[in-house]
Amino acid sequence: MPCLAFLIAFFMVPLFVTFFESVYQTGKGWVVYRYLDFFRQKLSRTVYVRSVLMSLSVTIVALLIGYPAAMAVISVRSDSLKSLLMTLLVFPIMTNPVARTFSWLAVLGREGLINNLLLSLRIIDSPVRLLYTRGAVFVGLLQLFLPLMVISLVSALENLPKDVPLAARSLGANSFKLFTKIYLPLTSEGIVTGSTLVFTGCITAYVTPAVLGGSRVLMLSTLLYQKASVTLDWTMATVIAVIMFLSTLAVNILSRAFSTLGVRK
Amino acid sequence: MKHSRWLGVALIVALSIMLGPFLIIFFASFEPTSTLRFPPTGFTLFWFRKVLSMSMFQKSLVLSLRIALVASLLSLLLGIPVAYATSRYSFKGKRLIELIVTSPAIVPGMVAGLALLRFFVLMRVFSVETTLLIGHTAIVLPYAVRSVLSSLTNLPVSIEEAANSLGSHPVRTFFLIVLPNIKVGVISAFIMCFITSFNNVPISLFLSGPGVNTLPIVMMTYMEYYYNPSIAALSTLLIGLTLAIVLLAQKLLGVSKLV
Repeated sequence: MPCLAFLIAFFMVPLFVTFFESVYQTGKGWVVYRYLDFFRQKLSRTVYVRSVLMSLSVTIVALLIGYPAAMAVISVRSDSLKSLLMTLLVFPIMTNPVARTFSWLAVLGREGLINNLLLSLRIIDSPVRLLYTRGAVFVGLLQLFLPLMVISLVSALENLPKDVPLAARSLGANSFKLFTKIYLPLTSEGIVTGSTLVFTGCITAYVTPAVLGGSRVLMLSTLLYQKASVTLDWTMATVIAVIMFLSTLAVNILSRAFSTLGVRK
Repeated sequence: MKHSRWLGVALIVALSIMLGPFLIIFFASFEPTSTLRFPPTGFTLFWFRKVLSMSMFQKSLVLSLRIALVASLLSLLLGIPVAYATSRYSFKGKRLIELIVTSPAIVPGMVAGLALLRFFVLMRVFSVETTLLIGHTAIVLPYAVRSVLSSLTNLPVSIEEAANSLGSHPVRTFFLIVLPNIKVGVISAFIMCFITSFNNVPISLFLSGPGVNTLPIVMMTYMEYYYNPSIAALSTLLIGLTLAIVLLAQKLLGVSKLV
């Protein structure tokens, strides 16, 4: 089929060759020292840990806000309001990430909403730097990926039969029990899917860390771009790319293992 | 339920994180001075006129639209047969085919962009623009296949069987019976592919060169040097356009078809 030929020739082969070059050196054979170097260097190690922690915290906060928000969407009775809410959830996903991230400059910038608000309330005397901080990257990523989390959870909650919570209630379950024994286990697959999407999205996102973090808050993606385009260090760029790919692959495999486990249960 | 108020609060928090910045950028794009500021100090349409008249934005917009259009059509052309084959026939290696087709959605865009740059552009196999087109086609393919596949799954096989048993050639059946019935899936696949390609940054980031820069890349480069409301105006235009497309798609196809 032409489609497979296209993907193999123009997608898989370039990927494999590029990966291969990072672990094979003519004359030396198989080498792993480049990968060891990545974790030995303080900068790249810090960047990796920061990327993972940042993605993890965005995922957790997205889950904490997204779960009750999804429950609210589900509990809406009017069909037209529900479809309006779904449209509002889909719309940011379809919007250009550059435009979405740029919006935060007007919120967090020197003359942005927050600084002007704090100045007019006399909480601060001069503008504070909010851009190029970890907090800025965090809110930017949260805005980018929260809709994905809410949508995953909404579809998980929609599959939950409506009478199950009612039955649990009538059998005397309190709200806490209802949530931990009914909602959480029955929507666990949606939670895992949403978290996987958010986590892998965060760890590979480029625009947000580039615009809101700059070189002060380097992430894996911005470091990769710097190595490839600024310092022209192709080997290191490839090493970072492979590490990025393997990280997302590991999360994907873990989540798939979890959902097959859930099915078997 | 007594907790419903808290659920509502969570929903409002979520919506304001997702949509709040859009409102702010909207107002900031009317700022008359040349700094990005909120709240704005006045009202002008100067930045909208400016951004629409700048040739760097015009050229990159044309390139972005062209790449998105060709990549979406190409991915449908390549994707529909695969979706049809995997939905109608069971054969050895089907899982592998599915894996290959979804692989561009699993591989991070930046990784693919870097690989394509090193393999095709630096080795002078293809021009930057051709490689850009290849990359975009590859990353939108999974969307095309998924969307077409889901409407094929909903179409009863018996219709085709009836047509075939009445003597229609399978190819004829496909064009006269199957294709008209999966029209909605194909259209939503096209919209999804077009938007995904148009918005893409990670692939285009590496596959750009003199004269070959997509709109998002030009916007990012411009932002590095100028801190004025022109990108705010452009963002407002893009956000408005996206909203129009989403509302139109929802009206015509139902929003569930898009995600």
